[in-house]
Amino acid sequence: MLKDFFMLAARSITHRKMRSWLTVIGVFIGITAVVALISIGLGLDQTIKQQVAGVFGVDTFVLVPKGSFGPQRHTGTSAEEYALDLQYLKSIPGVKVAAAVRQRTGFVQGPTKADGTSTQGFLPVMGLSTELMNEFESFTGKLAVQPGGRLFVAGDVDVAVLGTDTAKRLGAKVGDSILVAGDDKKELTLTVVGIMKPSDEGTSSKTNRGFSAGMSPGQNKDTIYVPYDTMSLLWGKANDVLVTLVRTQPGADVNKVADLVEKDLRARGSEISAITYSDVSDAIGTMTSTVSAFLAGIAGIALLVGGVGVMNTMFTSVLERTKEIGVMKAVGAKNSHILTIFLIESGLMGLVGGVVGTLLGLGLSAVASTFIGRFFGVHMAVVASPSLILITLAGSFSLGAFAGLWPAWRASRLPVVDALRYE
Amino acid sequence: MSLLDLKDATKDYKLGKTVIVRALRGLDVHIEKGEIVAIMGPSGSGKSTLMHILGCVDTPTAGEASIEGTQIKSLSERQLVALRGRKIGFVFQTFNLMQTLSAQQNVELPMIFQGIKKKERAQRALDLLTKVGLERRAHHRPNELSGGERQRVAIARALANDPDILLADEPTGNLDSESGGTILELLKRMSTEYGKTVIIVTHDPDAAAIATRTIRLHDGRVVEEVRNA
Ligand SMILES: Nc1ncnc2c1ncn2[C@@H]1O[C@H](COP(=O)(O)OP(=O)(O)OP(=O)(O)O)[C@@H](O)[C@H]1O
Ligand SMILES: [Mg+2]
Repeated sequence: MLKDFFMLAARSITHRKMRSWLTVIGVFIGITAVVALISIGLGLDQTIKQQVAGVFGVDTFVLVPKGSFGPQRHTGTSAEEYALDLQYLKSIPGVKVAAAVRQRTGFVQGPTKADGTSTQGFLPVMGLSTELMNEFESFTGKLAVQPGGRLFVAGDVDVAVLGTDTAKRLGAKVGDSILVAGDDKKELTLTVVGIMKPSDEGTSSKTNRGFSAGMSPGQNKDTIYVPYDTMSLLWGKANDVLVTLVRTQPGADVNKVADLVEKDLRARGSEISAITYSDVSDAIGTMTSTVSAFLAGIAGIALLVGGVGVMNTMFTSVLERTKEIGVMKAVGAKNSHILTIFLIESGLMGLVGGVVGTLLGLGLSAVASTFIGRFFGVHMAVVASPSLILITLAGSFSLGAFAGLWPAWRASRLPVVDALRYE
Repeated sequence: MSLLDLKDATKDYKLGKTVIVRALRGLDVHIEKGEIVAIMGPSGSGKSTLMHILGCVDTPTAGEASIEGTQIKSLSERQLVALRGRKIGFVFQTFNLMQTLSAQQNVELPMIFQGIKKKERAQRALDLLTKVGLERRAHHRPNELSGGERQRVAIARALANDPDILLADEPTGNLDSESGGTILELLKRMSTEYGKTVIIVTHDPDAAAIATRTIRLHDGRVVEEVRNA
C-alpha cells in the first residue's frame, strides 16, 4: 500500500512540474550549502591534522612555555622562555631522545680582517642540541650547510654554525674564529665549522613548510648557532629555553609520558606545558568545529527558507486538491492514508532536493578544496563520507516531510462532504 | 427495517453566525435492498444533501439515519471509513476522477485503500472497465476521455469494491441522450443482475424511467413518492 502511496504522491509532483521544481530548488540551495560547508570543514580538519601528524609522528611531543598553547594563550601572562634541566629530562622514564633550543642575545666579534679590524655587535645566539639536527627532521626540515662545512656532532664545544647573513656581515668563513661574550665577562672563542644553506635551497619538503617555519634554523639567517651545552658555558643554567622536543621510547604511551614529564619538570621549576599530537589535534578540532558550527548556522537559515517553500507548496497543493481529498475519502481513504500521501509528497520533494543538493555540494566542495589546497600548497582531502551523504538524504526527506506535516494534517482532517462540495 | 432509513431527518447549514439554511426539513425515507430509486426535484431542493447522508459521508442535524438498522451516529470514524470503502459506491455529479491517474488507476484507487494486492486490483479494474465498455481506454487520462467515457470510468470506480449500494448524482446530467442511455442501462443492470441497491439523483425523465420508485423533493421536503410499474 505504501508503494501505491508513493506512486500517488509522485504523480502529483510530476503533474505540477514547474512548481515542484521551484520548490526543489529552494531545498537544494540549502542542502548544497550545508553539504559543501560540512565537507569543506571536515576536509580542512582532516588535512590540517594530517599535516600535524606528519610533523609529530606517533611518539613525539613538544615542551612550550606554560600558557602559550590552548585557550588561555592570550592572557598576556605567559612567558616566552622557560628553565629546563635537559639532563634530568632525558632521565625520565619513557623518554628516548630530547632536544632543546635556547636563545640569547650576545656580544659577538668577527674574525680579524686583512686590515686588522673586525666586525662586532649584538646578535641572537641559539643553542641547539645535536639531536635536534638529526633526530627531528620533521620539525626542523632538512638542515644543510654550504659545501665545505658541517653541522654539530656529539662532543662539539668550541664551534659555531652561522646563518648566511651573519656570515656575510661578520665576514666569516669556515675555519675562522669568532668571539662570543656571555654573562659575567665569560667569553669563548669559537671555530666556525659551517654556514647554513639558505632555507629555500633544498631544505624542508614543501608540505610541512607551514608548520615548521620558525623552528627551522635554516630560516633564521642572522643567527649564530652553537651546541646546546656551549650555552651554559656562556650563560649558565638554561632558563631561556624556547622549545624542547621529546621522543618517547618505542611502545610507550606518548600522552602518559608527556603528563609525567610535565609534572616532574614543573615540580623542578620549569614553567612548561607538554603538547602532544592529540593536544594539537584537539585544539584544531575545537577551532574547525567552531568555524563549522558558524557556517552550519548560515546554511541552516538557507534550509529553513527551503522548508518554508515546501510548506507553502504543500498548502497550495492541499487547497487545489481539496476535492481530490474528498473523493479519496468518499471511496474509503482513512485520514492516516491522506496524511501519509501528503507527507510522502513533501518528503519526496525534500529528497530530490537532497540528492541534487548533495551532488552540487560535493562538487562545490571539490572545487573549493582544490583552490584552498593550491593556496596553501597542500593536497586537501575532499571528504564525501557515506554517512554524511546518508544523513543528508535522510535529513532532506525529513525536512520535506516535516515542512509538509502541518498542510498534510490539515488535508487529512478535511470533512468529506465539505471537500466534495469544494469547487 | 430497511436497508437505509431516514426518520424525520433535517439538515441545517449555518452561514456565518445568524443565517441558517435549511436544506432538509424533516424527511422520512426508506430504501429497500435491490431497489432503483430516483430522487428528483428542482435545483437546491436538497437532493445532493440527501444523497450524502444516505451515503454516510454526512450526518443529519436532527432526526435519525441508519443503515441496516444501525444508527450512523453511533458508528466510529473507523467503521464509517470501512462502510464507505466497502459497502457504498459513489458516482459524483462532476465525475471527480483523479486527473493525474489513468482510467485504470482511478478504478484501482478504492481498492488501494482497502489494501488489495496490485495484481488482483489491476485484473479487477480491467474487468470493470470491460464491463463499462472501456477496456481500450484503460491507460488514458481523464482529460483524454469524453464526458460519457469519464462517467463510465466513475461508475467502474464506484463498483471497485463491489459495494451493496450505488449512489449516483446526476449521472447523465452532462451527457447526450445516447451516452446517457448507455449509463442508465449499466446502472439498471447493477440492480437487476447483481442485486445492488441503486440510488440516482436526477433531473432526467429517462433516468427516472429505469427506477422502481421515484422520490420527489421540494424545498427540503418529500412532496411525492411514486412506485413505478
Ligand atoms: N455547505 C453548505 N453551506 C450552506 N448551504 C449549503 C451547503 N450545501 C448545500 N447548501 C444549501 O442547501 C440547499 C440544498 O443543496 P443541495 O446541494 O442538496 O441541492 P440539490 O438539490 O442537490 O441542487 P442541484 O440540483 O442544483 O444539485 C441549497 O439551498 C444549498 O444552497
Ligand atoms: Mg446536487
